[in-house]
Amino acid sequence: MNRSELLRVEGVSKTFESVRAVDDVSFCVERGEILGFLGPNGAGKTTTLRMILGILRPDRGEIRFGAAGPAPMAPKEHTGYLPEERGLYGDARVLDLLVYFGELKGLARADARDRAREWLGRFDLGDWSLKKIEKLSKGMQQKVQFIAAIVHRPQFVVLDEPFAGLDPVNQDLLKEVIHRLREDGAAVLLSSHQMNRVEELCDRIFLIHRGRRVLYGGLEEIKEAHGEHAVLLRFAGDGTSLRSIEGIADLRLGSGRAAFTLLPGTEPDALIRCLPETIEILALHVDRPPLHDLFIRTIEGGDA
Amino acid sequence: MKLAKVIRWEFTQTIRSKQFLVMTVFIPAIIGVAVFAITLAMEGEVSTPSEPPPPFIIGLFLALILFIGAFISGVMTMYGVMKEKQSRVVEMMLSSVSAWDLMAGKVIGLGLAGLIQVIAWAATAYFVAGRFLPLSLASLSLAHWVTYPLYFCLGYLFIASIYATVGAAIKDIHSGGAIGLAGIVPYVPMMFAALIIQKPDSLLVRIAGFIPPFTPGVMLLRIGATPTISEGTKFVPAWEMGLSLLSLAVGTVLMMRFATKVFEVGMLMTGKSASLRELWRWGVRGS
Repeated sequence: MNRSELLRVEGVSKTFESVRAVDDVSFCVERGEILGFLGPNGAGKTTTLRMILGILRPDRGEIRFGAAGPAPMAPKEHTGYLPEERGLYGDARVLDLLVYFGELKGLARADARDRAREWLGRFDLGDWSLKKIEKLSKGMQQKVQFIAAIVHRPQFVVLDEPFAGLDPVNQDLLKEVIHRLREDGAAVLLSSHQMNRVEELCDRIFLIHRGRRVLYGGLEEIKEAHGEHAVLLRFAGDGTSLRSIEGIADLRLGSGRAAFTLLPGTEPDALIRCLPETIEILALHVDRPPLHDLFIRTIEGGDA
Repeated sequence: MKLAKVIRWEFTQTIRSKQFLVMTVFIPAIIGVAVFAITLAMEGEVSTPSEPPPPFIIGLFLALILFIGAFISGVMTMYGVMKEKQSRVVEMMLSSVSAWDLMAGKVIGLGLAGLIQVIAWAATAYFVAGRFLPLSLASLSLAHWVTYPLYFCLGYLFIASIYATVGAAIKDIHSGGAIGLAGIVPYVPMMFAALIIQKPDSLLVRIAGFIPPFTPGVMLLRIGATPTISEGTKFVPAWEMGLSLLSLAVGTVLMMRFATKVFEVGMLMTGKSASLRELWRWGVRGS
């Protein structure tokens, strides 16, 4: 077992009625990393998360947490969960609710209060701590719920679509906080459909499709192994000469711009050397394909 | 430990609400003051009977209070459980506490708040009745003081658990169907109150006293009626009370477990209500 590994999921399966929602899934999350947890709707993501968090019991498989032996779930005191379906007790006061959640996760009352106040300040909600939850805007409620998920400083944090419904300022604030959680040594599992966010934040990714693991590993390694380089070109002149370049595919030619991918074996260096001299290059962008494309290709490839 | 925290939360959240203040303090106080003023104005015009009412009145009175109070707090519990599912706070709760802690905490916490309400109403009723009848609690023996509260509190929790099960099983208040009728089962003995008071020692009444949904109603009436009717017997035999209390306690725990299991299955299916058959499957098999 890796020393920095915090949570290991081994061969976990769950069947509802006759539908196998999660089928023999294994992965681990390390301390101080953010694991992107991806998959199309209905792939078994939420079911897997619920099993780890002890909301559902797996039919088979086990979960190891830290140095503890195999168990059907991670210990609730050390986990924090922001579910995708948001909801809080609307008639409760903000601070009371946060203290309650902190206490349920094992904090002493005074400690829970101090930490809740500190977090409310950080999220610019200090003036709202005595208001009822239902008086808050949707974005504010979302921030309160995020605080409720992490107020007890969990070692393992599950965030399901944490950015949904937040304005850009708060999205940046949240991003910063998630980075801080990682720096402080927490293991973060981030589930999201916003691929740009996943690319910004995650160290490794896990892709589940139809209850099974289809991709798992470091973000860069996966891109290297599965994605050809994507090229964006802006130019002046006659672009038709681009058609004669060898080793490229999927050429889409517009007026003054072109997009194509490099076939395996064609390196960016080779491409630059064989660009036609009949056009004047204004901008050239070569990169691995966005995770978005990789996601779609993997899911569609799996369906074929 | 977590159970105690859930109980405290549910209790304090409830007693802090405005409705609770109105129902528990304002309305009983207004009724009390109004009755006091009316009787004061009619002083001398109404002749109060000097004959004390028969002892079974206290048992009947308690049974009535139990059922009214348990109904109100039961409905509160049912709404509480339904709200838990609908507001989707349940996922966060269940990642912090077990379903049992959540369910039992709700039933007991809301039950305690309801109990305060019941005591306020009972005190008001006692005061109002006392203006017209020479009521006295002095006629109650120690045995009454021990057994009445036990049957009352356990019966109260049992009935609240039934309502919690209904709340866990249905989608919203309009789709209860047959399951909603489960809440009236404990009230059946009240329809036979006259029979129980007249023949508190009959075999049927004795057997019914051991069957949990009927236990609280039957036993409260029976204990009140026993000393007057049967010569020789001063009280319901101790073993019968012990056994019926035990069966009621076990029944209450089983009912709460049943509610918990229904809740565990039902909370992930907010889109539908359970049929009677599904209710049984969810509650017993847990799937």
